[in-house]
Amino acid sequence: MGSELGSLVATLLEKEPWVGEITGLDIDPPRRRLRRATFHRVEPKDRRKMVSIVREFDPQVVVHMAVWEPDARAHPRDAALWTQAAAVAVLGAAAECPSLTHLTVRSGICVYGRRRGAATRPDESVTPDPTTPFGRSLLDVERIAGEAGAVAGVPVTAVRLAPVVGPHVPSPLGRLLRLPAVPVSLMADPAFSVIDDQDAATAIVAAASTHLDGPVNVISPGAVTATQAVRMGRRVAVPLIGPEWRLAGMVASAFGAPIPPHIQELLNRGRTADGSYAAQALGVEPRLSTREVIQALYEWATVIHLRPTEAAA
Amino acid sequence: MNVAAAVRRQVNGTNEVDAWGMDHDVAAVARSLAVLRWDITVGGDQHVPSDGPALLVANRRVLAGTPLLVAAAVGRATGRAVRFAGITDIAPIGPALRRVGGVIARPDEVAGLLRAGELPAVWCQPHIGFGHRVGPAPTPYLAAALDVRAPILPVAVIAPPLARRVRLEVGPAIAQPRRPGPWALAELADDVRAAIQRMVDEASPPSWLVPG
Repeated sequence: MGSELGSLVATLLEKEPWVGEITGLDIDPPRRRLRRATFHRVEPKDRRKMVSIVREFDPQVVVHMAVWEPDARAHPRDAALWTQAAAVAVLGAAAECPSLTHLTVRSGICVYGRRRGAATRPDESVTPDPTTPFGRSLLDVERIAGEAGAVAGVPVTAVRLAPVVGPHVPSPLGRLLRLPAVPVSLMADPAFSVIDDQDAATAIVAAASTHLDGPVNVISPGAVTATQAVRMGRRVAVPLIGPEWRLAGMVASAFGAPIPPHIQELLNRGRTADGSYAAQALGVEPRLSTREVIQALYEWATVIHLRPTEAAA
Repeated sequence: MNVAAAVRRQVNGTNEVDAWGMDHDVAAVARSLAVLRWDITVGGDQHVPSDGPALLVANRRVLAGTPLLVAAAVGRATGRAVRFAGITDIAPIGPALRRVGGVIARPDEVAGLLRAGELPAVWCQPHIGFGHRVGPAPTPYLAAALDVRAPILPVAVIAPPLARRVRLEVGPAIAQPRRPGPWALAELADDVRAAIQRMVDEASPPSWLVPG
C-alpha cells in the first residue's frame, strides 16, 4: 500500500462494490488518502507480525503487491530480500486462512527474460526464463503464490506488468529517461513497452475480481526505442557500444538514476510482451499507449498559485 | 513515400517502431531500394489479403537472399509489410534486420505476428543440389497458423543464385484440415510443398538458369 501503485490499487478497491473490509501492510505509509482501508506499517522482514495480521484479518482475496523493484524504492540487495520475505510471510499465511478464495500477485514481463533467441513479444504460453535478478525475484513470487494457491485450493492470478512508468512513480527507468543525457545502445536500440500506473492498477483490481487462474500480461499497446523516448523528451542520447555501460551506470547513479541489470537489459535487448489476452480475460484495456505513457513521463504539471478566496480573519 | 517527412520523423522521434522492432519508414525505404538489386516480377499478389493475418511459405534458394527478396517483392506488390523469419539475434546485424521487418525464427514469434494481424514469411528447407526441388514445409509454423486460423499462402521463388531477374508467384490459400492433429498437419505440409513445387515447375523456363 505504500508504493504509488499499491496506493492506487487500494483507492480503486475502496470504490469496488464487491469489496468489504480492506487491510494493507507495507514498510511505507500510503501515498493517498484512504477512507475505508486500514493500514499496518510492517518491516518486510518482520514475518511474525505480517503472519499475525493476515491470520487475524482472514481475507477472502489477497492482492499481493509487495514487490520491490531494484533501485526504485530500495537498494537492489534489500529489494530482493524484502520481496522474498514478504511473499513467504503474506502468501504463506493467506494459504492457511479458511475464507481465502483467490490470490492475485503483481509480477512483471521481466520473467520472460531476454536471452539470445528468446521470443521478442512473448504471450502467456511462453515459459518464463528470467535473465535478471528482478526477473528471478518476480518468478520466485509467482512460484510461492502458486504453492500457496495449491495448498489453499484457490486460483492464483499473476499479473505480469510491463515496466510501470508515470510522472509520480518511483521507477529506475523513469528516472533514467528524465536525465539530461541518457545512455542508449548504439548497436541495437531495441523497442520496449511500458504501462501507466493507473492502467496497471485497474488491471490488478480487475484480476482480483475475476478470479482468473494463471498469468496475464498487462502492457500498453505499441513500443518505443530508447532513442525515440529520449528525443520525445528533448534529452541528449549518449550512444554506447558495450563496455562503457558500466561507466555510464556509475555516472547515472551519481546523478540519482542508477541503472539496475533489468533496465540495462531493457535498453540493450528490449522488452515487450503480447498483452492481447488481458482484454479478453480481465475485460480491461490500457487507456494509454506506450508512446503516450512516455510523453506523460516528460510532462510536468505547471505550478499554479491560487489566491485565497477569503482574507484571513 | 515522402522522404522529407520520414527523415523528420526519424529526427524528432515520432517514427513508428513496433514491438518486433520494425520501423515502417525504414522498411519502406528498404523496399524502394530493392529495385537496385533485383528486377522483380510478382504474380498472384491478389491472393494476399489486404489486411489481417496470413502466413507466406516460400521455397528457399541458396545464396539468393530469399527472405529479403520475398519481403521486398510481396511488400511492393501488396503495400503490406512482410515480416521475414530467420534473422540472427546478435547486434548489430539482428537489430538492423529487425528495422526492415526481420524476426527471429520461432513458432511462438510467428504466432504472435499472426495474432497481431501481420504478414510473416517462413521458408521450406533449402534443397542442396541440382534441379528445382522444394524442401519440406516447416510444420511448427504451419501449426501456429492453424492455431490462429490464418490463411497459408504458398510462394514460389524462381531466382537462380546471384541473378538480377527474379520471379515470385503467390498461390491461393491452401485448404486447411477440418480436424487438428499431427497427421492433418503432415498432410498440410505436403500440400504446401506440393503447391510451391507446382508453381516452381510451371514458372521455371530454362532461361532463368542464366543470371540476368
